[in-house]
Amino acid sequence: MLDFDGLTKRFGRLTALDGCTFAARPGRLTGFLGPNGAGKTTAMRAVFGLVELDAGTVRWRDGPVSAAERARFGYMPEERGLYPRMRVRDQLVYLGQLCGSAARDVGRSVDSWLERLGLAARAADRLDALSHGNQQRVQLIAALVGEPELLVLDEPFAGLDPIAMDAMGGLLSDVAAGGATVLFSSHQLDLVEDLCQDVVIIEHGRVVLAGELAELRTRVPQRFVDIRYRGPAPDWSQLAPVELIGARDGQARLRAGPGTDLAAVLARVQDRADIVSFAYQPPTLSELFREAVAA
Amino acid sequence: MKGRQGVRQGWLVTRRELRERARSRAFLASMALMVVIVAAMLIVPAMLKPGGGTRDIGLTGRAPAGLAATIAGQAHAAGLKARIYRYAHLAAGEQAVRQGHVEVLVSAGQRLEWQGRADQQLKAVVTGAIQLAVVRERAAAAGIRPEAAAALLAPVPVSSVELGHVAGRSPADETAVIVMTGILFFCITIFGAMVLNGVLEEKGSRVVEVLLARIPARALLAGKIAGIGLLGLAQIAVTALAAFIAVTAVGSIDIPAIRGTVLAWAVVWFVLGYALYATLYGALGSLGSRAEDAQAVAGPVMVFLPVAYFASFFMIAQPASAAAKAISYFPLTAPFAMPGRIAMGATAWWEPVLALALSLATIIGLVQLAGRLYTNAILHSGPALSLKDAWRNATAGPAPAHPHATKALHHAARAATGRKTTMTTTDLSSHRLLVTVLTGIALALGVTVAVLTSDVILGVIAGFGFFSVTIMMVRLWTGHPGPPVEHH
Repeated sequence: MLDFDGLTKRFGRLTALDGCTFAARPGRLTGFLGPNGAGKTTAMRAVFGLVELDAGTVRWRDGPVSAAERARFGYMPEERGLYPRMRVRDQLVYLGQLCGSAARDVGRSVDSWLERLGLAARAADRLDALSHGNQQRVQLIAALVGEPELLVLDEPFAGLDPIAMDAMGGLLSDVAAGGATVLFSSHQLDLVEDLCQDVVIIEHGRVVLAGELAELRTRVPQRFVDIRYRGPAPDWSQLAPVELIGARDGQARLRAGPGTDLAAVLARVQDRADIVSFAYQPPTLSELFREAVAA
Repeated sequence: MKGRQGVRQGWLVTRRELRERARSRAFLASMALMVVIVAAMLIVPAMLKPGGGTRDIGLTGRAPAGLAATIAGQAHAAGLKARIYRYAHLAAGEQAVRQGHVEVLVSAGQRLEWQGRADQQLKAVVTGAIQLAVVRERAAAAGIRPEAAAALLAPVPVSSVELGHVAGRSPADETAVIVMTGILFFCITIFGAMVLNGVLEEKGSRVVEVLLARIPARALLAGKIAGIGLLGLAQIAVTALAAFIAVTAVGSIDIPAIRGTVLAWAVVWFVLGYALYATLYGALGSLGSRAEDAQAVAGPVMVFLPVAYFASFFMIAQPASAAAKAISYFPLTAPFAMPGRIAMGATAWWEPVLALALSLATIIGLVQLAGRLYTNAILHSGPALSLKDAWRNATAGPAPAHPHATKALHHAARAATGRKTTMTTTDLSSHRLLVTVLTGIALALGVTVAVLTSDVILGVIAGFGFFSVTIMMVRLWTGHPGPPVEHH
């Protein structure tokens, strides 16, 4: 369990973190969300002692983070960077050894990750000889080497193509399933919604929404109706108390307040069009996010 | 436990530096080039000397009896080897001189013929031999027996003493110290720049954030300095070995006998000097964010270093003066000046120990300071960070209040991202005042040094050195690249 307890950091008059408090739990993926400049990167850096906090502490397993524990955490900074002229395997073994593991164990771990990410053939190449995508994979291995119990990734999905995103998502899920605590920041809300069990949303250095995603979604009273249909568009204005949010050819999303008569809505739509699908759902993560940040 | 982890990590950093740098082609090429240059510097002059000590001399016409043997004997006494050729005719002898077969032709026992300018040493040897041979010939003619003549002509041993040197101090020690100081200056310039560029490279590639998440800045910096230092030492050792082999092969230069204590102290100060300046370079390097910032951030050291080096040279002339004492204690000049004073025998036993303690304390302080600056400067990747901003980030709490709230916010945001701020009007006038005050102090310092050492050049160097280093420090502190320009 990684606890952020009242983290406060000011840079002159600029407050980056303002009593930021939340936790990331082991065996789960925690999505760390917030608009640009909300303080995500500062909070993540605080885990690694890269920021001198004005107040608050980061705790790991209910105690202060020791230097030895910190060295074993995996970290992928927002601004990626490795030694461009160093060979891939040498570089990863070096970074792994800095964690405190024995050379042989690190070598084995590096080789298995290189194999798994399809880079085994490039192990002896210089990093700058690799493509951008492959360099990103090496950066990911740098965080994963030594099988850390805590993995902190700052925007791991930025700049990845859809296939690479899927691979990264699968990998992070596997790492979490293996018992590790995984915290990552992202602006890709759909992706976070698919992957994460827990989310934390911060703004102006303060947590505005945090918890289990499924629970957060059901806790709010609003529900949404997604309809796919064939035929002419129904007259949505007749559907009150349901409110149309968006419609385009053959699809519509409606906001349903508490106590909406779903059967009536369904009947009304069926009068005009053939329904392909009809779904009654809690809000999506991006709707939760917009509401939390706008408030 | 914590300390042990830091040491282990520092050693890993050192090992990486050694491996990666030793593997680079640039390093191997520079090493090979250095060995070739040093060897060439020692071997080529010896090879240019004809015959490597063997001189070819031609004889023609009537010569005093036994001249050839006398020339050979005189040459031997002068440390040369003479090979004598006889020519039946003057023309043949002159031909041999022109073709370079012989260096000098002795014609009729009284005329020396050279191809170009006369070699003074050879001329002295041959002239001396002719005089000797002629005196012997005349002695025989006067009826003096050869044994009596030999007794008359027996050389008197003459010894030479250098009165400029104090008893108990040898010129060999002095030479050794001058050479060591020169090598130290060279090494700090080369390997200090390597530390600086290494730090800037890690900041430029942003790998530093990955590293500092795992290891303390102190361990990273200390490991890097040790790695580059060991590599430099290896480079010097290989070059010295090449020089030794070259000297032995040529047999041209005597290797001076140095006192053990002098050599030991010289090595200690060498290591200290490197560690001190490398730490300084590392700390300043953390203020920049890419290789191009090297000049901007390391300017003060680059200017100060030659001043410190040359100051130690002037000191050698007066090792017991107050100025010499002062610069042999001041940590930044001690590595250059103290070994010289030790070699001159101008120190009490406790003096080098005290200076050593001062330097060690400075190094430890610098490593702490560098570690702090390093961690704070990591968050920054814009133009070179000012020392003030790097330090401010280190001190907890908000920056002091500013009269204009909006500007203060702008200021703070800039400080947070480490950008340079434009100068305000108050900054400008305080800058003018600062320049005036500094010029005054520099002038006073220059005059004082000039009067104390009765050397005008030394005074000018001291004054100018102080001024430029202080101005650069101020620029570094405020983060302004040059003379202020008003923006309002």
